Formats: sequence, structure tokens, C-alpha cells
Amino acid sequence: MILQFVICIFATISFAVLFTAPKSELISCGLCGAIGWMVYLGCLNLDTGTTIANLLATLALTLLARTISALHKMPVTVYLISGIFPLVPGAGIYYTSYYFIMNEMAECSKAGMDTVKVAGAIVLGIVFGFAIPQSLFNRLPYLKRGQKHTV
Amino acid sequence: MAVTKEILALAVEMGDLLLRNGAEVYRVEDTVMHILNAYEIHDYDVYVLSNGIFASANEDREDACSMIRHVPLGATHLGRIAALNQLSREICSHECSLPQAWERLDACKNIPYNKTGIRLFFCGLGCACFGYLFGGGPLDAVTAFFTGFMLQIFLDALGRSKSSKFIKNILGSALVTLLALLVMLLKLPVHYDKVIIGSIMPLVPGIALTTSIRDLFNGDYLSGAIHMIDAVLTAFCIAVGVGTVITVFRTLMGGGLFA
Repeated sequence: MILQFVICIFATISFAVLFTAPKSELISCGLCGAIGWMVYLGCLNLDTGTTIANLLATLALTLLARTISALHKMPVTVYLISGIFPLVPGAGIYYTSYYFIMNEMAECSKAGMDTVKVAGAIVLGIVFGFAIPQSLFNRLPYLKRGQKHTV
Repeated sequence: MAVTKEILALAVEMGDLLLRNGAEVYRVEDTVMHILNAYEIHDYDVYVLSNGIFASANEDREDACSMIRHVPLGATHLGRIAALNQLSREICSHECSLPQAWERLDACKNIPYNKTGIRLFFCGLGCACFGYLFGGGPLDAVTAFFTGFMLQIFLDALGRSKSSKFIKNILGSALVTLLALLVMLLKLPVHYDKVIIGSIMPLVPGIALTTSIRDLFNGDYLSGAIHMIDAVLTAFCIAVGVGTVITVFRTLMGGGLFA
């Protein structure tokens, strides 16, 4: 489990580097991705199925990305884009085309539907994550310094 | 007070840069409006699509001005987006005069991409990590490192010749599949599917999907649809690339290979 966490940090950081994220934010990007992945694995352990697991993981990732972006005064895109990669259904795309080629139509449509469901879950996760108003997140830097939020 | 044209040019140029480097439509629109407000232009209209900006300001005055930009979908550069965001914050708190802002903008424009060596290494590392995360063993991860490394070399070479996105994704995923299958032919005990899944990660449309959802959520349906089509077509191209190579191998080697 810890190994998965560490490897996921490295995976996310690698992709953050590919998209030229600011060097100071690489660690935060890595943490975002890894925590999202941990939520995903945790949900799978609880037997929720991949769709719910992806939904909750994306939700956690989005909220975390928004929190960090408010604290560091950085665009939320930086964390969200790097962190989403472990959850994006790359394997789903592969298995769908693989079964299609192998002419196993039952497996193919199952994998295809799973991919679409996962993509839908990610969509909902991000949408729910952004449903919380930005003003709440804007207060975070002030809470941290123990000041009153005046704006 | 400066002329409308200069201010609008600054705002639109900034929007252009943001959009070019992969920011969401909502952020671009917001930034342009904030800058115009900061330099005391209050009569304006801004309309941003995922590949274009339309803006006009002070239409009922002598120095009325409007601008249109065409911005092709490009490579994502998060560093530039972050830097531009910082600049826009400073402009909004009136810490930055117009000439200063132009200077800073040029600096942002010239933040370089990471060096080729670094990109190659991290692309390999990312592929290796994902290969492992999705259930591969250490050997699969090492193989994925090399396929990812080769993939990035290939993508860089294609990027210089400005070929289309379709070609890039189809050939890229075909290359990865080919390499993974060749490694398997060497009788190494690799799980070729894990290697392939890990190494197609740099091509998988994670950014397009995320951006599209956020655009749709903010009510920019047209831009959201553009990115969504981009994501679906990219996924389709990857499937075609992987599928073609597997079919060819299967025909040449017989079905027993994939049992």
C-alpha cells in the first residue's frame, strides 16, 4: 500500500514535469495524484466497484486540488490535470480495443461500457467537487494565518 | 489614461497566451475582464472559445477597439499558466503599470519547456510507474520505461514536423504496442498488456477530458463540446493504433501468441 502511494507520487510528478508545472508545485501535484489513487484503492477494498471508486477518488482529488490552489495561490488546473492521470481510463481504452480485435464482443462491450462509466464517474466527481462555492476556499489562507477574512 | 487599444491588446494577448498553453475558457475570460477593469475600461465584451478570442472595448467612444485572435489547440504548459495567473493578480491589485505588464508578459511567454533529456526521462518514469500501478511487475515497469522513453523521442520528432494529432496518436500507440510485443517475442516474461497500458498514458486524453468537463460545467457548452470531441477522437485513435498492431502480429504469428 505504501509502495503504491510512493510510486503514484512519482507517476504524477513525472506527468507534471511533462506538462512543465512550476518546480515549486511538483510535490503538491504528486501528493494530489497519490491521495486520489489511495481513495480509489480504498474504495475498491470496500467493494464499491470501479464506478463509485472513481467518483469518490475524483471528488477527493478535486477538493484537495482546490484547497491547495487556494493556499498556494496557484491555478487549480495545475494540480487537477496532473492528479487526474492515475484515474483516467487508459486501461479501459486498451482492453476495449483489444477485445474488439480478438472478436470477443461480449468482453468488448463490457470493457467499453466500463470505460464510459468510469469517464462519467470522473465527470461527476469533478462537477461535485466544483459545486462547493469558491468563496469557502478563498477563506483558507486566512484561516491558516489566524486572521479574520475581511474581503 | 492610456489608449483603449493598448490596454485591450495587453488583455487579449494575455488571454491568447493562457488559452494557447491549455487554460480553461472560464479562466481566460475572467482574466481578460479583470485586466480591462484594472485599467479602468468598464464598457467591454469578451467572448472566448477553446480556439479563439473575440473582444471589444469602449464601443461608443472615439477610440473604440475590437480584436479577434485565433488560437490553435496546443501543448499544455502549466508553468506559463501559473506565471500568467500571478501577473494578472498583480495587475488587478494595481502593482503593475502598462509597460511593466508588457515586459512581464514577454517574460512569461518565454518560460521554456523542460529540456529534452528531462522530458524523456520523466516520460519513461511516468510510464513505468503507471505500468506498475495497473498491476504489472518490476520487469514490466522497466520495459515500460524504455517504451515510454522511445514514445517521447517519437513524439518530439513528430512535433517538429507538425503532423496532425490523429497521426501522432495512432502512430504513437502503434509504436508502443510494437515495442511491447517485440520485447515479449524475446521470450522475456513480461505482461505485454500492462506495458502497453502504462506506456499509452502520455497519449490518453486526461487533460482534454478534465478541461471539457470544467468548460461544460461553467456553461461554455461549445468549448466543452470541442474538447470532448478531442478527447473521444484521441481515445479512438489510441484504440486504432493498438488494435492494428495486435491484429498484424496475430495474423503473422498465429493466435497462440495471445493465449
